[in-house]
Amino acid sequence: MSSTHGIAKVTARRRFIKRKTSRINYVPLFIMMLPGVLYLFANNYIPMFGILIAFKKLDYSKGIFFSNWCGFENFEYLFKTKDAFIMIRNTLCYNLIFITLGLVVALSIAIMMTEIGKKKIAKFIQPAICFPNMISIIIVAYLVYAFLGSNGYINRTVLDGNGIKWYSEAKYWPFILVIVNFWKSAGYSSIIYIASISGIDSSLYEAAKLDGASKMQQITKITLPIIRPMIILMLLLSVSKIFNSDFGLFLQVPMNSGMLFSTTQTIDTYVYRSLMELNNIGMSSAASVFQSVIGFILVLLSNAFVRRIDNESALF
Amino acid sequence: MRIIKRIIRTANLCCRPNSRVCGRMEIKMKTKKNSEKRFQNISLVIMLIITVFCIMPFILMIAASITDENVLIKEGYRFWPSKISFGSYYYLWAKRETIFGAYGISILVTAVGTFINVALTSLFAYPLSRQDFKYRNFFAFFIFFTILFNGGMTASYIVWTQIFHIKNSIWALLVPNYLMGAFNVLLVRNYYMASIPISILEAARVDGAKEIGIYTRIILPLSKPVIITISLFSGMAYWNDWTNGLYYITNTKLYSINVYLNKLMNNIAFLKSSSSITEGANLAGLDLPSVGIRMSIAVIAMLPVLIIFPMIQAQLIKGVVIGGVKG
Repeated sequence: MSSTHGIAKVTARRRFIKRKTSRINYVPLFIMMLPGVLYLFANNYIPMFGILIAFKKLDYSKGIFFSNWCGFENFEYLFKTKDAFIMIRNTLCYNLIFITLGLVVALSIAIMMTEIGKKKIAKFIQPAICFPNMISIIIVAYLVYAFLGSNGYINRTVLDGNGIKWYSEAKYWPFILVIVNFWKSAGYSSIIYIASISGIDSSLYEAAKLDGASKMQQITKITLPIIRPMIILMLLLSVSKIFNSDFGLFLQVPMNSGMLFSTTQTIDTYVYRSLMELNNIGMSSAASVFQSVIGFILVLLSNAFVRRIDNESALF
Repeated sequence: MRIIKRIIRTANLCCRPNSRVCGRMEIKMKTKKNSEKRFQNISLVIMLIITVFCIMPFILMIAASITDENVLIKEGYRFWPSKISFGSYYYLWAKRETIFGAYGISILVTAVGTFINVALTSLFAYPLSRQDFKYRNFFAFFIFFTILFNGGMTASYIVWTQIFHIKNSIWALLVPNYLMGAFNVLLVRNYYMASIPISILEAARVDGAKEIGIYTRIILPLSKPVIITISLFSGMAYWNDWTNGLYYITNTKLYSINVYLNKLMNNIAFLKSSSSITEGANLAGLDLPSVGIRMSIAVIAMLPVLIIFPMIQAQLIKGVVIGGVKG
């Protein structure tokens, strides 16, 4: 008796909602979205069709979209050059270092920051270590130059005049770029871990202390297992971007120096240089299409992988 | 449960007078407490070292900018210059037209760009947050797909220059890449969905409010926190941007401060050529402090961020936490 009554109530409510939703006028909502949709078309969707440029022999007299097709010719040229190997190797190697070492650095900073979180000085430390990420990479390049330039601090004061020409010796740059990258982004990337660590219930730690767990045990047995989903999510996100690089870091910090290409060229800087400096649109578009297609595949793969581990934190 | 039982048991043990367990526990707790304290102190020391490491380059840059030019050439950049001179700042003041011009462009682009960004983002996010909007999944995918896939830099460059012809116009600094981003839209949508109860909207509709009225009178006032967050993100992106200038701007009048710094880095002589003739005549007797001047311009370009960042950092960090979880 009561169940039929309940059903009747539910259907009545459904009908009510249906009537109400059907009354909603979508036109104002569409108008609200219109500027955004137009912008997305111009900024994101039309360039997606621009991928076709990579398969064409560009001829300005015929216009971009009417140039002759050339199949995979551009890609063939690109992968025959030595540049292709160098830029892919650099992009992948730098990213692997940034991801693995970056995780260790960010986690350590986060654990130490939560440890001193109650002290007043933490209120000063956190903004200070995040600040390098807030300034533009151009200024970072100036800062690096103040250390490494011919009049720089390292050459004149640390090495006492027996200077090294940093901007023409490629072998030092893997170390320099790794240091600069962590200097810039370590504090900022730890924010997310600080937030998830401080969300952990403190009674867990108190119980562990009573049981005689050392600080190290508390970290490995409580902190890390609890924030594991977060770590995996962050790792997979960065793995899906493994073919992308921080354009500014690799172009500006080495001051666009040609002698350093063997260790500073990445796919992004190659795309820029062949487009703007060498005016070789074919090569440039081949490299950038290669990058975005592989990137797309990697995003899909890593998302499928996240789904298997933890459905909640999957992107889609 | 087990934990609680255990706590009660240890508490009972400790309360027993003169118990051996109690004494042992006390000693154990004490050593634990000491090790905790030690860990905390080590953390503090390491974090202070990291902080110094983060700040040090800025100090070197500021010190270099106020070092006397001759000392700079003789001794190089130092944290403690042996002779202080504000020569490079005087020089920049004399050349203020160029610097202020670039500053003006930066401020204009940041202000206008951030305003449009917030407007577009919020307008786009609101329908997406409405449960009763039939096409919301379609539009959500429409914007989400831009995170997954893009046409690459070359295609964007050709589209903006060949179809929209924005090269060497103020639009080139304003429009590409930064006007609306999927990340911000999803952030705002999640905020609307989580913190604006549907009952308010329904009540408003019953009272006869139109969609636009609901948006401007109810949604916008309620979304102040998230709007502040995304305007900080967007403002930072515009102020620090140099890639649009690098790709699309060759006209020196349209250089923003970062683009200007970038060009200056490649060519210090640019400053000489870009100043007007009358200014140049006044400066005829002044020799060009080419080494220190780069650092002083960088200091000037950094100044706004340095002043504003301490004020906004708490809000910004909060935004990163909210946004970082999804997206």
